[in-house]
Amino acid sequence: MSSRSAETWEQTPPLPEGHYVSGRVYNDEEIFSDEREHIFKKIWHFVCHESEVAEIFDFRTTERADVPLIVTRGEDGRIRTFINVCSHRGARVVMEPGGNARTHTCFYHHWTYDTQGSCVSMPRPEGYDGTGVCKENMGLREVKTEVKWGFVFVNLDDESPLLDEYLDGALDIFDQVLPKAELEVFHYHRAEIDANWKAYQETIVDLYHEFMHVILRDTQMPAASMDDREMRTYANGHVTIAGLKADYDKYEGWTDRNDASCFPGLDPDDARFAPLFPAQTFITRGTVMRVDTVQPITAHKCLIESRGLGLKGESEEERMMRIDHHNEYWGPFGRNVTEDAFAAEGCEFSFGKGAALRGIIARDEGGKGQCDSGLRGFWTEWSRRMGRPFSHPTND
Amino acid sequence: MPASNDAVRELIYRSCRCLDLQDFDGYIALCAPAFRYRITLYSPELRKEMIWLNHDRDGLTALLAMVPRHLVRLGTLQRNATVYTIDRNEADSRADVMSAFSVFNIDNEGRPSVFAVGHYHDTVDLSDDQPFLLSRNARLASRDLGIGSHIPI
Repeated sequence: MSSRSAETWEQTPPLPEGHYVSGRVYNDEEIFSDEREHIFKKIWHFVCHESEVAEIFDFRTTERADVPLIVTRGEDGRIRTFINVCSHRGARVVMEPGGNARTHTCFYHHWTYDTQGSCVSMPRPEGYDGTGVCKENMGLREVKTEVKWGFVFVNLDDESPLLDEYLDGALDIFDQVLPKAELEVFHYHRAEIDANWKAYQETIVDLYHEFMHVILRDTQMPAASMDDREMRTYANGHVTIAGLKADYDKYEGWTDRNDASCFPGLDPDDARFAPLFPAQTFITRGTVMRVDTVQPITAHKCLIESRGLGLKGESEEERMMRIDHHNEYWGPFGRNVTEDAFAAEGCEFSFGKGAALRGIIARDEGGKGQCDSGLRGFWTEWSRRMGRPFSHPTND
Repeated sequence: MPASNDAVRELIYRSCRCLDLQDFDGYIALCAPAFRYRITLYSPELRKEMIWLNHDRDGLTALLAMVPRHLVRLGTLQRNATVYTIDRNEADSRADVMSAFSVFNIDNEGRPSVFAVGHYHDTVDLSDDQPFLLSRNARLASRDLGIGSHIPI
């Protein structure tokens, strides 16, 4: 055992291609720009849960691939998504993160749009006589929207495959839960962190990093056999992880969840993960669900959005229990997510300026235990979409 | 003799100082047995109230005791508080106290950044000359807390 010289530090590791990731993927500006075009403008994005636009004319605003979006429920009950940009001079139309409005009027010249994206009025239209500009052809740009089990997904690419084809069955890991449970979002937060988006998403797929979290060392790792775990990868880079258990009372100050009201189809100690490519994650822990998305801001900064979900119509007491269970692990004061963000920022410190040259994803436990097969599945899909091998993305 | 307003102010400031210094035993000692701690805020996205932390005194004690085992944000948090109002209810020997707070993160290189901004809504037991916190609602005005924190605000 010894430290390494520059030569041995920089040489290609004695591993098969696909078992290490070049550090360039975290700091190269061209790669970052390509990711927006080849990945984020092409894939299905989870944008909100239908409970966030529960009533007619409810809306939410968000952004994906740097494109501002408004998601709204029309008078016909259908949820539609539009680019939140006025057809006239390109100003942002809706400013609020959420609300209820029959129409939306651009602040700039008062062009007004309804919840089906039609431009329903423009002041003094006669000024456009003879130009072809009229409210009939000046609607908002609609974005493909599908709702699956209450989760609203959008795709900026009009030529994309259908959502179910994209998911490739990855959300079926929840098919005992989601079709039977009407859910409601009770927690939402967004957080900008100083890390490349992939560094955060990797913490979800990387089970070997359980050692970093005291709660996972105490409650999860000893609770079931490593051989009971099932990590599966899917055609489009999605991953599912099942067979995880947790003894929550093994963490000082916590109680077990055995008497708690679970989600349908789940045991109180059950944990299931579905990290969807590229950067959205669905997680259940017996009594509560979390859905995260990660969006690139720059090569060195990303935005995490996190939601907690409970059962719609549950009692105040049950909701409070679910909120507490959510907050034990998750949220800005949780014992788990804060540490994942810490890890992502810690990797940014070294990959961001090139001090770290590569990451090793070579653990092979046959999809059990703390196998890196999920990480390899993520990176294989990244390479396919980017047209670059992740081990040597810039031919270096 | 009921606690004075000066003693109430000192209680609020001392609670901040204890958390700044991670003197968790000192913080808990300022709390009455029936103490309830919450971090709350309004979500304009959901158009709902949210609770981001909710503990009784025992729960908060256990949570704070576990902090040293965790991987916590680098540097220190420093709370700047100003007591705005003290509304005394002598009949109940209680006071509702509202204070503004700003929490700064000083990283390991000494760089400051704003971590959180909001108001403490406290209920204080005045029945003795030494006041105690009966409840604290740390009401956040800011909502993006970066990587978050294991330590309450």
